[in-house]
Amino acid sequence: MTAFSPRHGRYLAASTLALAVALGATQPVAAETFRWATTSDPNTLDPHAASSAPVLGFLNNVYEGLVRRNQSMAVEPSLAVRWEALGDEGWRFHLREGVTFHNGADFTADDVLFSYERASGETSDVRSWFATVTDVQVVDDYTIDFLTSAPNPIFPGSIANFMIMDRDWSEENGAETPATDEERYTTLNANGTAAFQLVERSPGVRTVLTPFDGWWGDVEHNITEAIYTPIQSDATMLAALIAGDVDFINPVPIQNVERLQNTDGMNVIVGEEARVMMLGFPHEADALTYDGSPNPFTDVRVRQAVYHAINVDAINQTIMRGAVEPVSQLVTPDMRGYSEGLSARLDYDPDAARALLAEAGYADGFTFSLMCPNDRYINDAAVCQAVVGMLAQVGITVDLVTMPVANYWPELRADNFDMYLLGWSPGTFDAEHPIRFLVSTPNEERRLGSWNFGGFSNARVDELLPQVQSEVDEGVRQGMLDEITGIMQDEVAYVPLYSQPILWGVRDGVSVSPRSDNFFILRWVSVE
Amino acid sequence: MIAFVLRRVFQSIIVLLIVGLIAFLMFRYVGDPIESLLGQERTFEDIANLRERLGLNDPFIVQYFNFLLGAVQGQFGISYRAGVPVSQLIAERLPATLELAFVSGLFALIGGVALGVYTALRRKGVIATTIMTASLIGVSLPTFLIGIALIWVFAVELQWLPSNGRGEVVAIGGWTTGFLTSSGRASLILPAITLGLFQMTLIMRLVRSEMLEVLRTDYIKFARARGLSARAVNFGHALKNTLIPVITITGLQLGSIVAFAIITETVFQWPGVGLMFINAINFVDIPVMATYLMLIAVFFVLVNLIVDLLYFAVDPRLRVERPSSK
Repeated sequence: MTAFSPRHGRYLAASTLALAVALGATQPVAAETFRWATTSDPNTLDPHAASSAPVLGFLNNVYEGLVRRNQSMAVEPSLAVRWEALGDEGWRFHLREGVTFHNGADFTADDVLFSYERASGETSDVRSWFATVTDVQVVDDYTIDFLTSAPNPIFPGSIANFMIMDRDWSEENGAETPATDEERYTTLNANGTAAFQLVERSPGVRTVLTPFDGWWGDVEHNITEAIYTPIQSDATMLAALIAGDVDFINPVPIQNVERLQNTDGMNVIVGEEARVMMLGFPHEADALTYDGSPNPFTDVRVRQAVYHAINVDAINQTIMRGAVEPVSQLVTPDMRGYSEGLSARLDYDPDAARALLAEAGYADGFTFSLMCPNDRYINDAAVCQAVVGMLAQVGITVDLVTMPVANYWPELRADNFDMYLLGWSPGTFDAEHPIRFLVSTPNEERRLGSWNFGGFSNARVDELLPQVQSEVDEGVRQGMLDEITGIMQDEVAYVPLYSQPILWGVRDGVSVSPRSDNFFILRWVSVE
Repeated sequence: MIAFVLRRVFQSIIVLLIVGLIAFLMFRYVGDPIESLLGQERTFEDIANLRERLGLNDPFIVQYFNFLLGAVQGQFGISYRAGVPVSQLIAERLPATLELAFVSGLFALIGGVALGVYTALRRKGVIATTIMTASLIGVSLPTFLIGIALIWVFAVELQWLPSNGRGEVVAIGGWTTGFLTSSGRASLILPAITLGLFQMTLIMRLVRSEMLEVLRTDYIKFARARGLSARAVNFGHALKNTLIPVITITGLQLGSIVAFAIITETVFQWPGVGLMFINAINFVDIPVMATYLMLIAVFFVLVNLIVDLLYFAVDPRLRVERPSSK
């Protein structure tokens, strides 16, 4: 079991990475075809038509943004070589010269302007990244300004997945706008600037990439061809890895991790994902949906009791095989804005839970219904089942309702829950992100709290959020984030549970580097 | 004969319309496609816009009518998930499913008839009883379990056959075939056995019991008494007379082979319409689901029609016009 702690996994990942870099630097290993499989095929190759992880993760190998993230999620130059704040008015990006697209066209500021217009248009699924952008101005061929309505210190990091397309290529192929409900050339074709170019695309069957000879960066990988196959069934994917049909799979089903580690020639890479799992409460509801009785969760003592009653370590050991990290906030320690001083969770203490319930007038407990998806997160239904058992021990009876995720969100949106399970991966890798979506009082007009199903509302949080968004001073900003996190913890807005693990399966001789957004970056792969 | 066919075609259209109606009634319970179409940072405005563009605000009967209107013009809409026309998606995926269904159907029919005859003739033999017992396993084990077991034995342990996919395919016009490459043929074996095993055991048991029944009849005794060779009696007379129910069942099973290919295709990542349908359900891809269900309905209806016509060919009694049949 010790061999499979996340800590060890991170060490393992770091060492394979070091190996990869060392090999790449000294003697290029004999180049290879690399085959990999994941459970979900990117449903489009258009970088502005979907903001889902399978799409953005895959396209990061083909397209590039102005900035990118390194293995530890820090922002680094990509198509922009440097950038600076224009006082309070926005950001200036100085672009890399001599970059070409896969079709040979030169990359200039005009392509960035085009990509901005395309990505912020009505049919784009990534337009929220530009919510604060008022205008984009081309200064010269290699300089471009993004003007914002207010100072936005995290703007460069928040557009790391904003991928740049070639204006001429897009226009020639009638793909000036992204689309989900119409045919687009860009759904099946791609023309980026990144280290790999698309050679073959057969949706749901196979996608082939080859290295782009004209790429501007230093090549660290030794792949000559990369073939991607989606394999939907976990068991089949595992079999494909062991049978040698693929070199890499994501994810390894958690119940098979130990087994794969004990298989000759196979390895499991464990990392910590940015996705934090939590339980949400109905803060606003008057009555429980279960039986219409008064909503006990409006009392903070009841929420604390639930927190005390849940044994995250037990969930980790029995359901997650020791692979997850318990969390105390809505972001993991790797994220920007994490509150170091607030890293303690409420103790697992059933007696304290019972005492709090008694104090709140529920000495005899109560009954409510817990909503849970069964195909969205790792072992989601099993985790909820465990929560049911733990709450039963402090006298709360839970009626568990599980369903596929396609039905789950509409139910939550319709306020059809007394408690629910939610996982959140902050797209900006900043603590502001979950506050904006999960903690801020829901406000359609200002686009706040769109995933705050329980309607948690705190005036001080709402007051601090705009300040956090525009505060340039790192220390002051962190102070405000700490205050918000403190309020969330005191109020038990959510019960943060754990962060999901990244579980990658590789055959021996393949080195890869996991990143906490679970993106698979081909240029960090080396194959023996 | 023509009147018969026309009558059946008319009935078939009614069946199709009802299938479509039920399908569209059900889609409301599959989930909301908006949730899978838009990312986590979407706004309420985005949701409302897309809902309007996709026509999801219309009552289901209007959505159904619009679908039918497009369908009669050959337009089945754009897949929400893949962003390409559904007709194109299905045209790409159908060859894989049909080839798999064809091979496993052939496997089931040949294997089933051969084993059925054998076990009927050697009723008390050790091999025959072993086959009969083993066939129980084929009937009772779920498809995905058989598939996974075959993968582990033949792909992982023995490494004889590929674990998933269709191998290299060759495009001939709009059709892609795996028959022409060695990897394509190797890839077919495991899924074809998985898909056909149940049907094979079914056909085998059917042939066996029919054979046993026929072998007891007087005309077989007479044939034997006449001194006909065992082969002529068994195959020329006995087997031929068992074929009517076998044809019915095989025909109906061919429909279910295509329909149940969903599970086999998922286990083997076989890029056919079944896998496409599973993806569509997960994504709440309404145009794809609707078209697939209609396609399967058309397929069942066609198979039934062909089975009825085959009766005419096989059973001379049906060709005699009887006044009472009016």
